[in-house]
Amino acid sequence: MSQYYDIDDIIAEDELVPAVFQVSANGVGLFDSSDETNKVEQGSKVELPFWLARELHLRQAVSINLPHCFNQKTREELAADAAHVDLRNRCPYFYELGRKLFTLVGDKTIGTLLLAAFQTRYREVLIKAQTAALAVAPKFLTLLTKEETKLYEAAQSSMVAFKKWRMGGPRFQKASVLGRKRRPFE
Amino acid sequence: MATQSDPHASEFSAAELEFLAEDEMIEIVPNMRMETLNLICGDFGPFHPQIATQVPLWLAVALKKRGKCTIRPPEWMSVEKLTQVLEAERDSQKTFQPLPFHYVEISRLLFDHARDDIPDIYMVRSLIEDIKDVRFHKIGTGLEVISQRTAALKLEHLTAMEVNIVRPFVVRALQAFYKLDSPEMIQESDLRANRRFPTANHGPKRQLKR
Amino acid sequence: MESGSGEGSMMDDYESLISTTDAELLKRSWRNEKAAPEILQFELSLVQRSTEQIQLMEETVEESMASGVDPLTVSLYQMDLDRTQFLLRSYIRIRLQKIEKYMAHIHKTTELWNRLSKQEQKYAQRCIEDLKEHFEKSVLSKLPDRYKSSLKQSVISEEDDMVPEPQLDTYVICRAKRSLGAFQLDDSAEENPVSLDAGDPYAIRYKSIKSLVYSGQIDLV
Repeated sequence: MSQYYDIDDIIAEDELVPAVFQVSANGVGLFDSSDETNKVEQGSKVELPFWLARELHLRQAVSINLPHCFNQKTREELAADAAHVDLRNRCPYFYELGRKLFTLVGDKTIGTLLLAAFQTRYREVLIKAQTAALAVAPKFLTLLTKEETKLYEAAQSSMVAFKKWRMGGPRFQKASVLGRKRRPFE
Repeated sequence: MATQSDPHASEFSAAELEFLAEDEMIEIVPNMRMETLNLICGDFGPFHPQIATQVPLWLAVALKKRGKCTIRPPEWMSVEKLTQVLEAERDSQKTFQPLPFHYVEISRLLFDHARDDIPDIYMVRSLIEDIKDVRFHKIGTGLEVISQRTAALKLEHLTAMEVNIVRPFVVRALQAFYKLDSPEMIQESDLRANRRFPTANHGPKRQLKR
Repeated sequence: MESGSGEGSMMDDYESLISTTDAELLKRSWRNEKAAPEILQFELSLVQRSTEQIQLMEETVEESMASGVDPLTVSLYQMDLDRTQFLLRSYIRIRLQKIEKYMAHIHKTTELWNRLSKQEQKYAQRCIEDLKEHFEKSVLSKLPDRYKSSLKQSVISEEDDMVPEPQLDTYVICRAKRSLGAFQLDDSAEENPVSLDAGDPYAIRYKSIKSLVYSGQIDLV
């Protein structure tokens, strides 16, 4: 698993997802504050961080549902005008979480939803990245998920670097190590 | 290992591209005599006054800086040729003209160090700027058509600097589409008609333009 | 410097086809190494030859300076020397960065381990031991018994899930030296074979073309 040390992956998996306990469990009253007993009854609805929900799901202790960010309202907004939906607000890791949830939930339409949303928003990111003045971060940026933001920055950063190179300025600075006699190889 | 994957590790800086471009051969006319240079990167010379010879660009610039030669701009750097290229670029919204792979770096090096050797330099410079702008704009609109998993994207006639600038974006975008448009996640039956290109276009290879 | 016995260096194959200068080969190795997500075969003989040429040139420069050769000539030799040294050093440096990033993975994958030079292997070994010790002292020794590994999250993990791997399916930009006829991009039948025209840049998944990179038919850009 090459994601172990990946910060974005860690944060993405911290997002809360709704889950329903399929069994009752002792000692985890933390999840269900509705009464004093330190246990959770079968059928209780809770919100768990994704990483925990997944582990419990694998042990068949819970079933997982889609979080709010994938609900009907969001879907309708995306269908109407995907480019202007504030996905960051709903879930900054919209795509990553969606993909991770895909295999764990019953609703398989999420795959199409993610692709359709990305298709539209990708174009918007591309267009905005080309036209936006660098000094002014467009309001548009505040709507973007982490993935989309990285895409936007990717479009901008090398253009910036290129312009800087084009401006000129000090070119190759001779590294101080050059011109000195090398140590012999061991 | 504990660090996040460095997105910049595999990128080339503009300076590194320039470094690569400096190995391109160019013609100079020396005004002095010098013995053959037996360099690691090749043998060049001997140098005789007024006798044209080919050397790598970095060497040409070094000699020029010391007033030891004039540089002959490459054939493609003439007002005529560039005007043709610019017109052709403007004529087509989808195709790119073939240009020397390092045309951006080469022209900049020559502008910086051999101004007096370039006839009509202001015109040449402005033509190259325009060509660059038209092409960048075309690249942008060309990338807009990516909307599904793409096995191979042909960047026909794009040059080194252009490729380097779009690389971070293109790589990320293609990766995202690859993951989201995976056969596991997209069931054919779920597709809405207007969201998907007809199968004929879902070819393995897309041109950046055309 | 010796390298482990790895798959044949691509330079040996390619050199027999076309004679290219070492400078060109070094440049190509540098570019490919920089752009490839995984570590490539160490170009042992190329590096040895380049090192010799650098040493020779250094001597030439010293002698020339001492014997009063025209300073212009000397400075041109020096420039050539600097350029070659830059390529060589950068090549080594990129490889070290990859080793540092993926040391555990390289160590446990024979094919990759064999791509390292003897010195790189020594370096990797030291890095691994240092890092392991660091993790153990600072964190792992304080965890419950089942969680003490620096490779597996817990004793019941099926695989080494703490080991970062290079992403071979990342897209790279490449150019073919000669047109390549239809070849299969991946194992599944879903992709049609693709042809690549010579000279044009293509954005393709690295995994699809890596064997062509090894054999020198495709360059990464």
